[in-house]
Amino acid sequence: MGTLLAAPDPVAAMKAMRAARRRRYVQRADVMEVLYRVYLGGLAAIFAFAFLAGALHEVPADPGSIADIRAHTPAVLGLAVALLVLAGLRSGARGGPLAIEAAEVRYTLLAPVSRRIALRPAALAQLRVGIFAGAIFGAVVGNFVFRRFPGTAVEWIGALAAFGAIVPIAVLGAALLACGRRLHIGVASAIGVLLVAWSVLDLALGWDSSPATMMGDLATLPLQHGVDAALAAVGAAIALAVLAAGLLGIGSLRLEAARRRAELVAEMRFSASVQDLRTVILLRRQLASELPRRKPWLRLRGAAHNAVWRRDWQSYLRWPVVRIVRVVLIAVAAGGLAVAGFDLTPVLFALPGPLLFVAALDLIEPLAQESDHPTRRLLLPFASAGLIRRHLWAPIAAMAFVLAIAAATAAVASGNPGLALGVGAVVLVPMAAALIGAAAVSATNDPYEFALNQQLALFASLGPIVVALIAAFVPLFVAWKVEGGNGARVSGAFGTDIVLLILAMVGLGVLAWRFDKREKEAS
Amino acid sequence: MSGGGNGGGAIAATSGGGGVPVLSAQGLGRTYDGYIALGSFTVEIEAGEFVALIGPNGAGKTTFLNLAAGLLDPTSGGVEVAGEVPGSLDARAALSYLPDSPVFYEDLSVAEHLEYVAALHGLKDAGPRIDELLERLGLEGWEDALAAELSKGMKQKASIALALVRPFKVLLADEPLDGLDPPSREVLFELLAEIRAAGAAIVVSTHRPDVIAAAGRCVAIRDGRLAYDGAPDPAVLEQIFDRSELEGGS
Repeated sequence: MGTLLAAPDPVAAMKAMRAARRRRYVQRADVMEVLYRVYLGGLAAIFAFAFLAGALHEVPADPGSIADIRAHTPAVLGLAVALLVLAGLRSGARGGPLAIEAAEVRYTLLAPVSRRIALRPAALAQLRVGIFAGAIFGAVVGNFVFRRFPGTAVEWIGALAAFGAIVPIAVLGAALLACGRRLHIGVASAIGVLLVAWSVLDLALGWDSSPATMMGDLATLPLQHGVDAALAAVGAAIALAVLAAGLLGIGSLRLEAARRRAELVAEMRFSASVQDLRTVILLRRQLASELPRRKPWLRLRGAAHNAVWRRDWQSYLRWPVVRIVRVVLIAVAAGGLAVAGFDLTPVLFALPGPLLFVAALDLIEPLAQESDHPTRRLLLPFASAGLIRRHLWAPIAAMAFVLAIAAATAAVASGNPGLALGVGAVVLVPMAAALIGAAAVSATNDPYEFALNQQLALFASLGPIVVALIAAFVPLFVAWKVEGGNGARVSGAFGTDIVLLILAMVGLGVLAWRFDKREKEAS
Repeated sequence: MSGGGNGGGAIAATSGGGGVPVLSAQGLGRTYDGYIALGSFTVEIEAGEFVALIGPNGAGKTTFLNLAAGLLDPTSGGVEVAGEVPGSLDARAALSYLPDSPVFYEDLSVAEHLEYVAALHGLKDAGPRIDELLERLGLEGWEDALAAELSKGMKQKASIALALVRPFKVLLADEPLDGLDPPSREVLFELLAEIRAAGAAIVVSTHRPDVIAAAGRCVAIRDGRLAYDGAPDPAVLEQIFDRSELEGGS
């Protein structure tokens, strides 16, 4: 790389160094392996797409539903955008969203070179990935939505792809802005909460005033006319302006936060590369400074009849506010997505499962800690598998509560509370058991157990997420698919309990096998 | 800015501006959740000074160096590098920082690191300077090695070369002799003498008596506070610290 010395100025040297690193990375990459993965991914996507397109047979929505979607969906989506912007602002206040290499801080950011210019490529690269993923997801949803609503395929796919692209622009822009302006976490949270409150107000009063709601207009553009259509453009312009401001100010980031983040993100990337989801979660909590409360919300009194049950609830009672809010928001989002699946396209039923899986990973924490400390566990005078099984009851009860929040949200949002509460009631416990089983299997997974077989390792890490996806998708899809009144739909969902119980039993079986095996290996 | 020099000689140090201290801290403080890592620390360092920064583990030495380098933000007081705020373009051009743990791009060789840092600081014709540093630090033959191929000592030598390849008015070094064999230590002492002769200031955080003896001035920190500032007189220092505190730390 002697060409670096020939660079006419420091910025040119920086660009030459990065270009050389990119070239080196491409040279070292195994092209055939990359192509094979793209081929497999593409094939899976085509099959999923074809299956859904064939299974849905979507009928055009009635005029009442169309009017309802037109009036309320922008505010609902706006609220989701506002929540994501809140997360972005908080991440920015903690030094995100960029993860800068330690060497980049030491050599480039401490050199007399504009930090804005030095950091812009990393920010744009992150943005490209976000825009691409968002636009693709939006386009896929648009491809199903256009069959039910007025407007052409091009209009719907275009509108939802644009919405999918504008969301990461707004979120990353807000994060960059908070980072560059060195906002205190309290100030960043306050701004985000104000935006969320504004969006809630829009939703409650049927207004279209919050910038987030205006971005929501973009998603339903083929249904919008006149001012509402113009507001969609205003929303997009605001998102772009926030991004521009964020990019302009990123040079003022705090190196202290950037260094801390760089170290933790490097560890997270390594853990993710070996599919160690448990470590990723622990590191993410460190990154977010998400520590248990020193003083519990409520102190449990009385004798400990069931020590494990009590220990698990003691853990929940020390949850920090941010974790409680996250789990409640996940429940609300899952309920909202279930309603959106009924109103827009059942493709959206694929989202609540992975979302609820994230909440389940929080709920499974006491069990995961038991798994993290094998010596302590092995010194107990009974089998590990039995202990682990006893650790499942409290998370299942707590998960059922989370699902009840989701069902209540769906009841409020759908205008058909009977159906939402009915489906919720009949699947509450089996779905909670399936989700907690999946999360327990994931949290106790040993990433090096199948180190010599990558396919098996990938299956072990992705399997629980797929199980969670199925656990939420199947009852919702069946309730949607069954024809007839609420009674027929609820009993259709009830029929899927057997699937959920089988999934839960499989999870329980894997846990028992895993901990028996580990106990035998230890002895 | 002091960048943009030519590549002659191994040392690219330059003397500080007339009258302005190259490093000045006034009531500098830094706390972490109520814990005082550095409290109301005041010091001025002139061009050409060689200062040994001493104190037991956790005294606040590295915190001070990180604050001066702009890697940390102070919670009270302020610090200036050649009259500029740390982190500003001029301060970054004036200050070279050699941290206690070397960091590298995992996919760049030693020579590529040196070329990159030299180019970032606007050095023209840095080739001879790079060659001389590689030779004097015993890195000849390791130019094309990646960081993963280097031993701890070799990494430290590469890190020293990276701190010295660029122009600066003040060098901050955190335990620079860690991991070096005796011949390499001698080379480092020679290089530090050349830096001083070129008019740049040196601040070395250390526990080593040989470094303290070589320094013209000793600044001691204890519990985040300035405990001593003066000539490196062993008798005085032993009144302030236990011998184990000065020699036993990492």
